[in-house]
Amino acid sequence: MKSKTVPRMAVHLGRLKLKNPVMTASGTFGYGEEYADYVDLNKLGAVVVKGLSLKPRLGNPPPRIMETTGGMLNSVGLQNIGVDAFIENKLPFLRKYDTAVIANIYGETYDEFKKVAKKLNAARGVHALEVNISCPNVKSGGVIFGSDPKIAARVTKTVKEETSLPVIVKLTPNVTDIVAVARAVEKAGADAISLINTLTGMSVDLKTRKPHLKNITGGLSGPAIKPVALRMVWDVVQMVSIPVIGIGGIMTARDALEFLIVGAQAVQIGTANFVNPHATLEVIEGMRQYLAANKIKDINEIIAAFQTK
Amino acid sequence: MAKNIYIGEILKNEEVQKDCFLMKIKIASSFETPLPGQFVMIRIAGLNDPFLSRPISIYSFSRKNNFCLIELLYRAVGKGTQIMAGLIEGSQVEINGPLGNGFEIQSVKKNVVFIAGGIGIAPLSLLIENLCRRFPSSLMTLYFGAQRSSAVIGLDKLQKMCRLVNICTDDGSLGEKNLVTRVFQKDIKKFLPEDTSIYACGPKEMLVALGKIFSKNEFDCQVSLEERMACGTGACMGCAAAIKDKKGALVYQRVCADGPVFYLRDIIWE
Repeated sequence: MKSKTVPRMAVHLGRLKLKNPVMTASGTFGYGEEYADYVDLNKLGAVVVKGLSLKPRLGNPPPRIMETTGGMLNSVGLQNIGVDAFIENKLPFLRKYDTAVIANIYGETYDEFKKVAKKLNAARGVHALEVNISCPNVKSGGVIFGSDPKIAARVTKTVKEETSLPVIVKLTPNVTDIVAVARAVEKAGADAISLINTLTGMSVDLKTRKPHLKNITGGLSGPAIKPVALRMVWDVVQMVSIPVIGIGGIMTARDALEFLIVGAQAVQIGTANFVNPHATLEVIEGMRQYLAANKIKDINEIIAAFQTK
Repeated sequence: MAKNIYIGEILKNEEVQKDCFLMKIKIASSFETPLPGQFVMIRIAGLNDPFLSRPISIYSFSRKNNFCLIELLYRAVGKGTQIMAGLIEGSQVEINGPLGNGFEIQSVKKNVVFIAGGIGIAPLSLLIENLCRRFPSSLMTLYFGAQRSSAVIGLDKLQKMCRLVNICTDDGSLGEKNLVTRVFQKDIKKFLPEDTSIYACGPKEMLVALGKIFSKNEFDCQVSLEERMACGTGACMGCAAAIKDKKGALVYQRVCADGPVFYLRDIIWE
């Protein structure tokens, strides 16, 4: 029997090398330890942790989630332990693994972004920062920073000045022209772009005529948003030269491969982790099988292999 | 890498009273023995609608020669549980669990009181079974309130295990026509905080009423909370409950990973 060729899975996001293109999406994988009993973190391309702010955040009052057709709404409101507690209590656990750790960061002001970036830059075991300018569930910062190209660029620049780590900027789909924001952050020095964050949505309880979420609106995620995410990734990859990370409703290797084919260098798995804690590993394995079955030796060969004609 | 997602086979799924189902599931013997108060996330494999798994507390558990049996008692109230209710014998379900922290049961006091409202009997049944076995000399008293007599589920078994069972119903069709919290309040003088352990599970209104009763005395009451969940493993932060921290400040804790059992005095009702 002929020995099977094992496809090469490593990808590069600028100077950040990942052993495969599959990462976890921020907010869906805790600080890594929540899923470490289910998933060998060493097998992942990267772990992107829950968004970190300068001070711990309480988050929004419940109810915070509601199931929708093929997805869910959430209005968690970036509840997190704060950057100091992350560095002290969560990072040592992640350092034990040979996997890239990407810290998602959030600020209500430029100054907060700056301080969080500075602290993480000095911490051992963080391989990149992902700047969250796209959370729809917080009153200040969040999506407000992400909807104006000028402000998005200024946040990017502020973070870049504080760190030597690669900076990924995570974009919101809740804008008229996502390409304008993508180009602005690229120009401001972003090393990569990730998209999309959740789409703003809502749901009403017919019995009480009240919103299902205490916050009224929330962010929609899950397989329902995949076609929208894919289209936005396609829009952006054509207009920027930095690597793009595709996020949005990926449940299977097929979903992930679609993002790579239109031009994403990597993908993030989010809501799928909730319904299938093994989703990331199954996506990696499914990608390998696809490559082997199609006699493709290196995953990079299918990135941007999109044929429109 | 200790945790797996198990495929369970439904052996029985019957309506034990209106809208209330008992599902018996056969599962691999590697399934961890659950602690009373723990739950599972259950899902029909591959289905995207309903999308999320459903958190259901474990009603009973037993180990057989080369497999385990789990029983789930659940109310078909929404899309997910209604589809669960329609599953026939031989169907397969995905099970993640056991999850969450159970009741604190390392030791119990001389008197043990259980207060159940409706389907809230589910986690308490497993607890009663466990405590009766381990602490046979404690006096077990159950207060069990339900809408009507048919909703008083598992009474025979409960009467065998508890020294005293007080039943009440909203319509008076079984036991006293009264609310379970009022029945308990009439009896509260029979118990002393220092020699009584109390466990409760039931609808929010019941727990709020209990919170008021216990605000005036020193009783410790552990309650199991229910909340919508996405992951069940502590990652999504969706199932928040408002809890008082050590300094008395409000924090949101995860019902799935920090609970589902909390001390009633720590819960902030909004």
